[in-house]
Parts: sequence; C-alpha cells; structure tokens
Amino acid sequence: MSDILRQPAEVTWKTELDALAAHDDAPKPEGWALSPQATLTYLLGGAAKDGTEITPKYVGQRRLMETAVATLATDRALLLLGVPGTAKSWVSEHLAAAIAGDSTLVVQCTAGTDENQVRYGWNYAQLLAHGPSTEALVPTPLYRAMDGGKLCRLEELTRMGSDVQDTLITVLSEKMMPIPELNSAVYANRGFNIIATANNRDKGVNELSSALKRRFNVVVLPLPDDIDEEVQIVTKRVSDMAESLQLAVPKNAAAEVMRVVTIFRELRDGRTLDGKTALKAPSGTLSTAEAIAVMVGGLSQAAYFTNGTLDVDGLAPNILGAVVKDPVQDKTVLAEYLETVVKKRRDYADYYSVLSEML
Amino acid sequence: MPAPVTYLGIRHHGPGSARQVLAALEALQPAQVLIEGPADLTELMEPLGRPGIVPPVALLAYAAKAPEYASFWPFAEFSPEYQAIKWAFAHGAVPSFIDLPAATNLAEAELNAKVADALKDQDGDVLEEIDDTAVTLPEPATDAIARDPIGALAQAAGYEDGESWWSDVIEENPDPGEVFAAIATAMEALREGHIPDRREAQREAHMRRAIAKAARHTEGPIAVVCGAWHVPALRAKVKASDDTALLKGLPKTKVQATWAPWTSARLARATGYGAGIEAPLWYAHLWQHGVGQKADALWVARMAEVLRDEGFDASTASLIETVRLTRSLAAVRERPSPGFEEMRDAAISILMHGETLPWQIIETRLLLGRDVGQIPDNLPLAPLLDDLQRQQRKLQLKPEALERELSLDLRSERGLARSTLLHRLTALDVPWGQLTDPGRSRGTFREKWLLAWQPEFAVRLVEHLVYGPTIAAAAGGRMAEAIRRETKLSTLAETVRGALVAQLPDVAQTGTERLDALAAETDDCATLLAAIPPIVDTLRYGTAREMALDQMETLLDRLIIQSAVALPYAARNLDADAATALRDLIDATDQAIALSERAEPIRDAWIAALTDTGRSDKTTPLVGGLTMRLAYEVGTIAVEDLASLMSLRLSQSRPAIEAAGFFEGFFTGAGLKLVHDTDLRVAVDGWVMSLDEEAFTENLPLFRRVFSTLDRNERKVLLEHLLGRAGGNLTATFAPEAEALWAAQQATINRLFEGT
Repeated sequence: MSDILRQPAEVTWKTELDALAAHDDAPKPEGWALSPQATLTYLLGGAAKDGTEITPKYVGQRRLMETAVATLATDRALLLLGVPGTAKSWVSEHLAAAIAGDSTLVVQCTAGTDENQVRYGWNYAQLLAHGPSTEALVPTPLYRAMDGGKLCRLEELTRMGSDVQDTLITVLSEKMMPIPELNSAVYANRGFNIIATANNRDKGVNELSSALKRRFNVVVLPLPDDIDEEVQIVTKRVSDMAESLQLAVPKNAAAEVMRVVTIFRELRDGRTLDGKTALKAPSGTLSTAEAIAVMVGGLSQAAYFTNGTLDVDGLAPNILGAVVKDPVQDKTVLAEYLETVVKKRRDYADYYSVLSEML
Repeated sequence: MPAPVTYLGIRHHGPGSARQVLAALEALQPAQVLIEGPADLTELMEPLGRPGIVPPVALLAYAAKAPEYASFWPFAEFSPEYQAIKWAFAHGAVPSFIDLPAATNLAEAELNAKVADALKDQDGDVLEEIDDTAVTLPEPATDAIARDPIGALAQAAGYEDGESWWSDVIEENPDPGEVFAAIATAMEALREGHIPDRREAQREAHMRRAIAKAARHTEGPIAVVCGAWHVPALRAKVKASDDTALLKGLPKTKVQATWAPWTSARLARATGYGAGIEAPLWYAHLWQHGVGQKADALWVARMAEVLRDEGFDASTASLIETVRLTRSLAAVRERPSPGFEEMRDAAISILMHGETLPWQIIETRLLLGRDVGQIPDNLPLAPLLDDLQRQQRKLQLKPEALERELSLDLRSERGLARSTLLHRLTALDVPWGQLTDPGRSRGTFREKWLLAWQPEFAVRLVEHLVYGPTIAAAAGGRMAEAIRRETKLSTLAETVRGALVAQLPDVAQTGTERLDALAAETDDCATLLAAIPPIVDTLRYGTAREMALDQMETLLDRLIIQSAVALPYAARNLDADAATALRDLIDATDQAIALSERAEPIRDAWIAALTDTGRSDKTTPLVGGLTMRLAYEVGTIAVEDLASLMSLRLSQSRPAIEAAGFFEGFFTGAGLKLVHDTDLRVAVDGWVMSLDEEAFTENLPLFRRVFSTLDRNERKVLLEHLLGRAGGNLTATFAPEAEALWAAQQATINRLFEGT
C-alpha cells in the first residue's frame, strides 16, 4: 500500500480505465484517451467489454453527464455549477482522468490567485541573468494543458478576482495565450479544454462576467432528486468514511440515515415527502455532504463517548448545526417544522423532544 | 373478390405518422379510408371537407340524457387521423370511422357508474337489474403500452420523446414504403402473449367487422388508419361469427355529438387528457418543418425568442453554440440526429446557463402554447345549455327575466340541489341568482336568492364549454383554473369556499392544497389572519352540506399556529392605517376562531399570542389595547395584572395619542364591559381622572366614540355606577355648578350649529 494519503483518480481507478481503453473502438475526438461513450460508462458505472466491472463515480441524472461529455467533445469549455456538496470537483477530476488520462493540471482559484498563476510566471533569477526567454518562463497548469493538449481544471472559478478570470477569455475563444514579453504565444493543441467548477450559492464571490460566462457551457449539478438515491449515497459514503476513520457502524445506522435524510430533504425542498404540507426552507443548503457529516459526527460520538450507541442525542447537535445557519430566521423555520410535521410522526418522537429542547 | 386492404398503423398525434400516412395514401389512392374513431359519428366528418374548421378541435359526444357522460376525440393539425380525413375529402375517397360507436361507450360509462354507485352503497337491488356481463368496474381503457406502443418502445430505448425515436428509428428505414410493415412487425412482437381485455377485444372485433364489410362493398383499395397497436389484431383471421358473438347485446344510449374548439394546451397529457401528448407545439413544429439542420435551427431560434420575451438574454452566438451542442449530444447518445431532449439539454446548458428555472418558465408557452381551434358557426354547440335545461326541469326552476325571490332550505335534498346549481352557475359567470343573504351570520342552512335570467347568459355558457361538457364539470374547470392563478391567500380561501358550496369537492381539494402551499410561503401575519375567517365560514357552512373537510381542518389549525407565531412581531411599529387594519383583522379572526371550536392546543396557541401581544410594550397601542382586552376576557391576564398594565399604558408620561390609541383599541365595541366590570371601571376611572385639562379635551372625541356604542339605558347604568349608587367603590359626584354650566354650553352648541 502506498504511503500517499490519496492518489489522483487516474491512479486509483487505473484498472477500470485500462479495461475501458483496451476495448474502446468507438470514434474518439482527437487527443482523447477514451471515447465519449466509454467516458460515460466510466462515470456512471457499468461493465467494460472484457467484463471488468466499472463502479459508478456519479450517482444522478445521466443526461447531465451526457451534456458534460458532449460539451468537452466540442471546443467549448465546461462549467460545473452547484451548491456545496454536489460532487462538482469529483466529477471534474474523473472527467479529466478519463478524457485526458491526467487530472493533476489544477488551478485552485482563490481571492489571492493572480495572473501569474493562471497564465505563466517568471523564474526571476533566469530573468535577471538572461533577460526574457522561454527558459525563464514558468508554465502554469493552464499553460501546460494547452501545450500538451490536456484538460485543465479550474477549481472554484468564482473565488478568483474578476480581472484575473477575464484572462481566460482569449484562451477560451482563440485557443491561444499571447506572451507579449517574448512576442510569441502558446497555441492550444488538440485535446485541450477547460473544466471549471463554481459554487452558485455562496455570497460575496466574483460573479462571472457575461463575456466569460457566454464561453462556457454550464451544467448545474443538483442535489439528489430521489430519497432512495440520497439514502444510498449517504449510507455508502458514511460506511466508507467510517472504515477509513476506523469507527464502528451500529446496527441502527441505516434507520438513522433514513430519518436524517428525510429531515434534510423535507426542509431543503420546502415540503414534506408525501407532498401534502409545504414548509419554509432554511437559509443553509442542507446538502447531501452535510447529511454525511451529520452521520459521521454521530458515529464518532457513539464510538468514543456513548459505548457505540447511536441515538438522537448524538445526532441532534449536528442536525441543529446544519439547519440553523441564521440564528433568528432558521430557528423559526425549524420550530415550525417540528411543530407542524415532526410532532405528528410517532416514529420521530425522540427527534421532536430532543430538538425542541435544544431550540 | 374483396377489395385489398392496407393497414396503416399510426401513433396517435404523431406528426411523423401523419407524414407517412399521407405518403402512403398518395401511393395507394384508396377508394375508401377507414379510421379508428366512433362509427356512429362518421357523419360528423363532413365539416372537415370544407374550410372553416381550424384545429385543434375535438369531436364531442355526450349521452343525450346525461351529459356528464361525455367523450372527446381531439384532433390536431398533425394528427394522422385528421390528415387522413382531409386527404380523403380532397381526393374523392370515402372516409368513415370504424371503432365501437360512441353510443356504446357512453352507455357503458353510465352503466359502470351505476354499478360503482351500487357497490358503494352496498345495495343489492341495483346490481340485480344489471346484465351481469356488464358488471365490470371502469378500467383504464388499455394500459400505457397499448395506448402509445411507440412511446413505450421509445422509452425502452432510452428516449423521452416518442417522436424523436420515430424519426431516428422508423424513418431511418431506407425504404419509406416499408415503414408500416416494419411497425406491424414490431407490434406483433410487442403483442405476443397479450390477451386483450373484454373492451379491447370488442373494439377490435367491431373494427374487423367494419373492415370486412367495407371490403365486400367497395371497388378499389381500402386503407385502414388505426393505432399501431391494433394492426396485428385487425389483420388476424377471425371467424365473423365470433366477432358477431362478441358484439352481441352491447348497450346503447342516445347520443348527441358535435365539434368543439379545443386548445393546444389541452392536447397535452399534463391537463388530464389520457391519450395526449406532452409537447403539442414541438409536434406542430415537427409537422411543419420536419427534421434536419434547418428545422433544428428554427426550433432553437424559437426557444430563444420565447426566452427573450420572458426577459432572458439569448445571443445569436449562443444559438450557434446550442445547435452545435445538440449535434455533439446526439453523437454522445449515439442517435442519428438531435431530437427534443438534445434541444432541451443544450438550451439549458447554454442559453439558460445550466439553470432549469428559465426552462420551467418558458416550458408552458414553448410546448403547450395558447392556440385555440375554431369551428364554423353553423355547427351546434349546446351541451352546457342542454344540461342546464335538463336540470331546470328536474329542479323546477324556470328561467324568467323578471326578478323573483327564492328561499332555500339546505337541509332538504331539493333545496340543496337548487342551491348547488345556482352556485355553480355563479362560478361560471352566469349570475342567474344573486345571493341576497349570504347566510353566514344567521343559520347556516338557509339561503335567499334573487333570480333573474338574462339572454346573454346562454352565450356565456356556450363560451365556457372549453371547461367541460356539463355545468358541474365546467364550473369545476373554471374554478380550478382560477385557483391555479390566484396568489392571494384570502381570495383563494374565498374561492375554496365557493367550490365547496358549489359541491365541487375535487376542486376544493385542489384549492386546499394550493392554500397550504401558499400559506407556507406567507410570512405576513395580516395575510394569514385574513384567510382564517373564510375558512372558518367554510367549515361551519360545510356542516350543512355533506362533504369531507379533514384537510381544511388541518389547514385551519396550521394557519392559526402560523399567525399566532407571527402576531407579536407583526403588531409592532405600525402606522395608523396599518394598525386599524390589523385591529379589525384580529377582531374578526378571534371571533372566527372562537366560533370554530378548535382543539385545546390550537386555541391555547392563539390565546398565548394574544396575551403576548397584549402584554408587550412594543405593540402598537391600538392593537395592544384590543389584544389586552381579548386576553383579559379569556382570563390569561388577571384582573390585578390588568389594572397595573392599564395604568402603565395609560400613564401620564406617555404621549396622549398613544394612550388614546390604546384606549380606543381596548374599548371599541366593548363599552358594555365598562358597565359590568367593576375592576375595569376603577382602572379606567383612575386614568380619566389623571388627565390634565388639555389632554382630556384632546381625548374627548375618543371618549365619545367609545361611549356612543352604548345605548341609552346602558349609559344610564354606567352613570349610576360612577355615582356609586349601584354599589361599587366609586363615588363620583356632579360638579355643583354643572346645571348652570350646561345651559351656557348648550347656548354655545346652538350657536355653532346655527353658524353664527
């Protein structure tokens, strides 16, 4: 076992990628490691032609992944939007791994990201000693992706300043990046494209300029739209994480997942599961990722403090933390939900009493 | 030698089918065109041979004696049946319908309803009267596959839209002439092992017989245009005697039939028509422009046009990218050409920046549209009027132009039926009767109407045919539409009440659900409060009529809880107008809640809210006064508390206007309290006495307003109390010089009145 905590997707899922590539006879766009169809199989799961099982990497609507792959097959860039916890970066990593065989050309965009980290930087010792030259130039992941015909991933695009974002416009529309200092330019090779991710819920980020936005095809990754699907995701991720954190999973965990996910979904959708009562939605996102965090928190509490008993007392503080993001507004929302819905459900009596007490 | 028969298996409302049918008819040049449709309505095809009818239109048949049993056969421009009929008239071929007669359909529907009723009542008598072959409850005509087998095949192949599958799979067929043979083969495979239910078997037997008959009597080829599903059965060799046996003794009823204008939106499945299509305008586009690059560009441009109309940006460059993405998507999905789904997905990704909300906004307009069909003036258009006349006879209500009063007792069956009819007509904007006494404040089982018939009512009824074939159905349809559009809670509550009194429980149900959804979105206390009285009315009124109101009860509880939560905050920082409005609302709502006999916890929540509001120093004085009094009346503010709270609110350090506002709020409509409640009187007396002259004068009009609600006798009793004569501890005395002063006052007043 390697000492590296987490390997990039193309290493971890090498067997699957190799199996798919070995029997991939569908037409491939130039510069692609896999055909669009094989890429979809890799993302959504299935079997390679030699029978190797391909695990699903994304559980959700097939047509969104189809749109994403189809976009990359044209020369348009792809923007994955979504609230936190909807697997944007996960999908972007796997797309890059499958299409370019390399998911490591990443620019993590932050408020501190400047043009030098997006376009190219300079080796100042070289620059001072020999003046501007190709040798003095320090390529960025974007530069390398253009040069090598690979996919470049831009994480959290909207966190980067608008002026820096706009340096991408020339790259996206003309597929080249001028280097005025050398009076030259780097031209993108076939196979180059950009996958950006951005969060559409955060306040205070740098909204994309419409010029830039127009150059992206956008795929919004939604929260799971079906409770069974969400329960399945949460259960699977919770048991994965519990395993890596070496936490025992009590028997009633499955039932608790069901109840927590039910509460999350009802509040998030603003209606009860039976669709009969409408509710107010709290200000937080209540994403699947948060439901997973609530469960893992509960498991950790159960393992270290309550002798392995997973109960409402362990889960409630985490639920409260996830729901009440705005101390005034969200409390009213939760109180109303408890009074109008949870109170009437006999199998939620413990949730009702513990949560109302904590409120 | 019988004439050769060609079977053209179609997809109902499939533009691809329609095009193929026309091509096949051109090639075949049949002498007779047989079409799946009610055989007894063949005559009604005649207007289609002339100009004047503009689709979408529907063939409408209803039982002459019971118009509530009605069937519609809608046709769009792109319906293969419609095109086949038009072709036949244009080319001198004879078109006719060959399916089971409408008379049988409707008779069975009537019979089934009777059986269902009988079973519901557990009443054996009716059951025995009915021929036992007919004792089957209404089943869904056929299952989903039989209704749209091509759609089912498409879904199995991963398509959402059957037409895209049709064009990809069926029309990709290199030899177009073979299309119908290919479909027939597919249907044979699909029908393998399928045992048609009784009804389907009868329909197919009827069609087989009609085809055989036509073949015997016609010279020249015959074309049969029917749902693809039926082709294998119609081609099968079945002994004529078996078919005849199957069709023996079918019930019949007298049928009226006509054409009715239809709307494109109603062609869609979403509005409840069983064999409908999801996107009529997409189909119309396919019919007009076919498939191909130019058609795709047209549809993308249309999406952009609607988007722009709704205020979204859609640049030409984005349109180009959208068309490119549709091609790329089709390639990824391994489809020969982009279809509806590719168009939608590409548009969402590029034109709508990944958001589905704009799509939802434009969806209705883009896919359903607002097209309304037309029919010539000379066709009869009468089912609603017919239904009305029938009910008028039954209920012995004559339409008269002169006004006439009618008093109804809702406890009697006839009274209830008459009231229901009048309420339903009102819902249809035909105010034949005006309710003169809404019967709310008095007994809830009596209604007084003023009847007057006006000739234009008949015209309005004809216009409302689009909502349904009977008065009940049309009233329901119109109200349901109003409910869908309404965004104001109190108006919606009124509409739901209207639906209940018109005996339209399904509509009321929809309305209640909408109310529930709307209530959840509403934070505004005043809006919530305003919705409570009409709902309470409904519930009380409902007890005089037979209806289930459970959900309404739950909703009411919820509204009360919600407004109770919101009340203490809503009562703060109000200006004069808002305060008056809220006071009136609280007053009305409190009375309504008291009348409605809520369960303890609900009532407690409301009272607690009143108490909190009444006690809070931050409450606007006018509202504070009322809520304090209401809390005092139910005893959550004790007498001792009241005295100190009152003196606090009315204390001199407060601006006089605030104190007066509080006073007004507390006493308006409750002057009698002062007469009978000693403690209260002492508290008020203390305040009045503490006012300095200026403040007292300022407040005089207010006192007058409060005390003027008392009658002479009450005022006298109050005075007695104040003077200590009727017991109590007040010992006010008249000022010694009062009598003399009064004469001077009187003189001043007289002078003022005379204006000198």
